[in-house]
Amino acid sequence: MATVDGALPDQLIQRSSLRLGERWRARELLVQLVRKELKVRYRNSSLGFLWSMLTPALMTVVFTVIFTLVVPVPVDAFPAFFLAGYLLWQFFQNSCQGAIHSVVGNADLVKKVYFPREVLPLSHVLAQLIHLLLAMLVISPYLIATRGLGVLVYLPATLLAVVLLAVFTSGVAMWLAGVNVVFRDLQELFVVMFLVWFYATPVLYPLALVKSRLGTDHLLVTFLQLNPMTWFVEVFRTPLYGAVQVASSSSDGPITSVPPTLPDLRGLAIAAAWALVVFVGGYIVFLRRARTFAKEV
Amino acid sequence: MTERRSFGQLAGLEIDPSRPAITMQGVSERFRLYHERPVGLKERLYRMRRASYTEFNALERVSFMVDHGESVAVIGHNGSGKSTLLKLLARILPPDEGRVATNGRVASLLELGAGFHGDLTGRENIYLNGAILGLARSQIDDRFDEIVDFSGIRPLLDTAVRTYSSGLYVRLGFAIAVTVDPDILLVDEVLAVGDAEFQAKSLARMRRFKQDGKTVVLVSHDLDAVTEMCERAILLDRGRVAFDGPVDEAVDRYRQRIARVAGIEVASAGDAIPVAVEDASLVTVGGDPVSEVAASGALALQVRFTAVERLEACNVSMSVADGSDRPIYEFHTRLQGVGVGPLEPGESAMVELRFAAPRRAGQYTVSVTVTDAGETPAWGAVPISSSLQVAPTAVGSDRVDLAASAAVLDGPARSIGDVADILHGGESGPQQGRREA
Repeated sequence: MATVDGALPDQLIQRSSLRLGERWRARELLVQLVRKELKVRYRNSSLGFLWSMLTPALMTVVFTVIFTLVVPVPVDAFPAFFLAGYLLWQFFQNSCQGAIHSVVGNADLVKKVYFPREVLPLSHVLAQLIHLLLAMLVISPYLIATRGLGVLVYLPATLLAVVLLAVFTSGVAMWLAGVNVVFRDLQELFVVMFLVWFYATPVLYPLALVKSRLGTDHLLVTFLQLNPMTWFVEVFRTPLYGAVQVASSSSDGPITSVPPTLPDLRGLAIAAAWALVVFVGGYIVFLRRARTFAKEV
Repeated sequence: MTERRSFGQLAGLEIDPSRPAITMQGVSERFRLYHERPVGLKERLYRMRRASYTEFNALERVSFMVDHGESVAVIGHNGSGKSTLLKLLARILPPDEGRVATNGRVASLLELGAGFHGDLTGRENIYLNGAILGLARSQIDDRFDEIVDFSGIRPLLDTAVRTYSSGLYVRLGFAIAVTVDPDILLVDEVLAVGDAEFQAKSLARMRRFKQDGKTVVLVSHDLDAVTEMCERAILLDRGRVAFDGPVDEAVDRYRQRIARVAGIEVASAGDAIPVAVEDASLVTVGGDPVSEVAASGALALQVRFTAVERLEACNVSMSVADGSDRPIYEFHTRLQGVGVGPLEPGESAMVELRFAAPRRAGQYTVSVTVTDAGETPAWGAVPISSSLQVAPTAVGSDRVDLAASAAVLDGPARSIGDVADILHGGESGPQQGRREA
């Protein structure tokens, strides 16, 4: 008995278990949509899947030239430092960019077929996750060469960070996809929003450096620490690249980049809390909105 | 055989026979027609007040039940709420008021090939579309050959579907959709697509569903298909259930409504109507019954009716509607100053209305009724409708027949193409060629 609305109380349990069963079965659709994403994206380009590697590689070259030769950022092996943050950021941004159009762009489907709508944004997140894992595989020889075998030793911690970010990204992606249906300016705001967000995330610079230069109570430091992406980048970078430490004696103290190690538990806890809250919040907003998608897209 | 499930069904929960297959209780669905849809930031900042819109009820307090194994048609004019009703049953839309409950696996054929991606091959799209309809990969594996054979796409299986013809596209969509094997099948006008052979194939498939004891809800304008497929029909009129009962009666009432729209006033069912239309038949000029004519061909409609009470004078009205139920022509004998009367109770009369068939090929409905002779009739008999098929013309065709013909004014003329035989077959007259020639 698939009750849609105004269910009697005794049907509520049945209804919620129905919804759960239905969502579990939708994994098949999710898998197919992810396959579609991966296949279609590069189908008509000659370099194909290589593009998902070439983009971060080119970005690394550009930023390395600027931030080692022109305005030096004092960290060891800048390309490794940059990649260990940028890959994560790229996953986040590309997922959100795909997801924001996912409901609006599939209007025909949404109007004509019933299926759990969240598979649309989630398929973009999962497709990007595969890109991220492949990119990590490709750069791992370079990271091991520059940062030592610790990269492999602490791999489980890196993967945990990826999982946390994927959960967080799913929440943001669902929120964006759901809200964009009634508020189409969101997709225009997106570009500016994500540009600002990128520089507000310690991808190009280490958080420790900002802290030592400005002091831990500085407004900007507080702002950086309120940015959830800061914690995901820190938690991801520590086991992959290592930590950047500034000698505490003076603000201009020597900067050292220690090899890969375990991320600190506080950072991990904050990242996990953000992931959980944003996922649940984004999901609730999306589900509320999804009821009337068929009328609005 | 593996268990088949779609999204509408809870794992392990099969049909509950003690409850009807479909229940709708007091369901209303409202749509907002925004005068200018406020979807952007500018509009929102501009007017902080609520956006101006008109609310209209696509469905108003609709209630009905459908038993397991019943085939129910939903008929009505465009905009009467038929598609909204199906979307509610398919759970694409939630009801604004009331309750919708379905009992069993639901599959909806609201659009064929929804979610096909042009850059993916036929094979890839079978799996993608199957997943969208709620099929597991293993279920599609089981039925893969059946889908491919039914749609006839085998030679193009590994070609991107954007290269497919539109006919092939919907055929593939249909083949996948029927694989869902539901308890309740919702169909929205999709049988109207494709060529005659495919339509026959899909109708046969629908019949099999029926024979297997599945519940079918069919939305269609094709009243013949509706009568054949369903025992029961729900007639919707501006979002309300106007009639719910045997399909023949529903179709009759629907035709009456078409006639009424065409300008013929009909007394409400409760009033005593002093005349009964017994028979209305389309005949050739020679008087032979006919249901198919050539475009612009001469036709006559013979109407026989009997007076129930004494009639001083009455008028006979005819209206013609096209395949989409749009009225295209009406005629009243009083406009020509022709009436019938006086008639004593029990006395009958026969009137012949001569007219030319429409010029455009297609399916038409000719409705006829008898009313009093007034300009706005106080009463009218229940109309009788007959369907009329107009065959396409041999030379040239499109939305209208402009009756083109060709003459060679300068240079040698000759006959070409398959009309040549006709032209040489002793028929005199201007030389004609196919428009394509």
